Amino acid sequence: MNNIALGRYLPLDSCIHRLDPRAKIIALILMMVAIFLPAGWIGYALLGCAVLCLTVLAKLKMNFLWRSMKPMMFMLVFLLIINLFMLQNGTILFEIGSFPIYSDAVFQTLYITVRLMLMIILTTVLTATTKPLDLTLGIEHLLSPFKVIHLPAHEIAMMISIALRFIPTLIEETQRIMKAQASRGVDMEEGKLKEKIMSILSLIVPLFVSAFQHADDLANAMEARGYVPDRTRTRYKQLHMHIGDYVIFAICFLILGGLLVFLWI
Amino acid sequence: MPITFQKLTHEYNAGTPFSYLALDHIDLNLQEGKITAIIGETGSGKSTLVQHLNALLLPTEGSLKILDREISASEKPKHLKSLRKHVGLVFQFPEYQLFEETIAKDIAFGPKNFGASEEEALQRAKDVITLVGLDESYLERSPFELSGGQKRRVAIAGILAMDPDILVLDEPAAGLDPQGAKEMMELFVRLHTEFHKTIFIVTHDMEHVLRYCDEVVVMDHGHVKTTCSVSSFFQDPSILKEMGIHPPAVVSLRESLREVGFEIDASILTMEQLAQAVAKEVGHHE
Repeated sequence: MNNIALGRYLPLDSCIHRLDPRAKIIALILMMVAIFLPAGWIGYALLGCAVLCLTVLAKLKMNFLWRSMKPMMFMLVFLLIINLFMLQNGTILFEIGSFPIYSDAVFQTLYITVRLMLMIILTTVLTATTKPLDLTLGIEHLLSPFKVIHLPAHEIAMMISIALRFIPTLIEETQRIMKAQASRGVDMEEGKLKEKIMSILSLIVPLFVSAFQHADDLANAMEARGYVPDRTRTRYKQLHMHIGDYVIFAICFLILGGLLVFLWI
Repeated sequence: MPITFQKLTHEYNAGTPFSYLALDHIDLNLQEGKITAIIGETGSGKSTLVQHLNALLLPTEGSLKILDREISASEKPKHLKSLRKHVGLVFQFPEYQLFEETIAKDIAFGPKNFGASEEEALQRAKDVITLVGLDESYLERSPFELSGGQKRRVAIAGILAMDPDILVLDEPAAGLDPQGAKEMMELFVRLHTEFHKTIFIVTHDMEHVLRYCDEVVVMDHGHVKTTCSVSSFFQDPSILKEMGIHPPAVVSLRESLREVGFEIDASILTMEQLAQAVAKEVGHHE
């Protein structure tokens, strides 16, 4: 459980790491829109190249990206199976037994696979190159214009950063409780269905209890230090946009614009 | 039959950049039928060591012989559940493992997992609840209404209900008030004398080691530094000094007196004996 790659920050030094978190978040949104355009294979080849360049610039290893994609494998297989049954158009490629496999189903699955892969790689690049705290700071800044319509930007950002902070703590706690219950004869792998449900219950209940305990303690600690959410606060860390950030914007707009024009013609 | 560690090594996250060698080729013989204290600084490998005793952690190298089982790194062990019935392990802050609606059900959870019937398990719960110093009226209450110390008693009762031959406790008295800690330690001594359990206690409290334990194992940076009887261990407090651990009050008073020239036997380990020895010394000089 300690080697989850998805969403983990990698403390490297690259030009992508040094970008402003706000720029990276907006760039991610633009690229996401681009990915969801029905751009055809040429468009995806172009996007793929751009994403590949990005990962090289961010000094991320293929191995790391592969590990962050692994949890999605199950979903992709599931998608393929559903598509095989649902989409029965186009030409028949081949038959398994007497079950025909249609070309549309295969292409549709490939499309979705490529889209998902690109999305996962992009978000992994964002989380791997941006410290969680910078990320939430960026989100807070980007949400702050919505304060006009009473959107609690700071509170949302604080909630996200607390949630991120407690992921490793909860993982640790889970492992500890699993061990404690294993000492009491819980077998997470074997056993009948009823026993399995019981064993999950024996893990979930203590985990919730301790999560609430943590929440309570944290709330008290924050209040003791005079935290009031709707006060304006000064910051030690100030965000500044540099030339690199504008370059990233320009590239993203070019890609998105290019794809739109391409589709128009 | 002794518990034997042979060149046992445990490396966390082996083969990754986060790897950490917690135990380094440990050779150790632990006797059954004693109360053994396991001491050492934070991060010295105490908790890792005791988690091998019921195979929650498996050695990455070497082997461990316990009861009639041999657990070695070379083969994947099977039926660990049967070992865990005989070796009960109580984690640090065990109160976080409670989850049932009533205390009776929670205590009965362990025995039921190991194949006891509902009635047997509830009978066991009745037996052990008084043993840990709570009365039967608690059985139908929710474990979440209790105070921290009471929760811990219930959690320990949950392990005792499994009736293990070997009981392993990771800092059972941590965070308890002095009276609670004393009662806790006295419970373990009683389990040892009345029910003949083999007991291992991970602790930082030297007073507890001196007063309640027979043997002591000193861990240091993944190695076993010393293993000897408690009485011989406190005769020579140089190891304690070297590790920066405060010796028990009796021992530190005895050593200070010896330093200033009192001729007192280094094997004295109780206040009464020490008082007598001092009186005798003073008598000589009058």
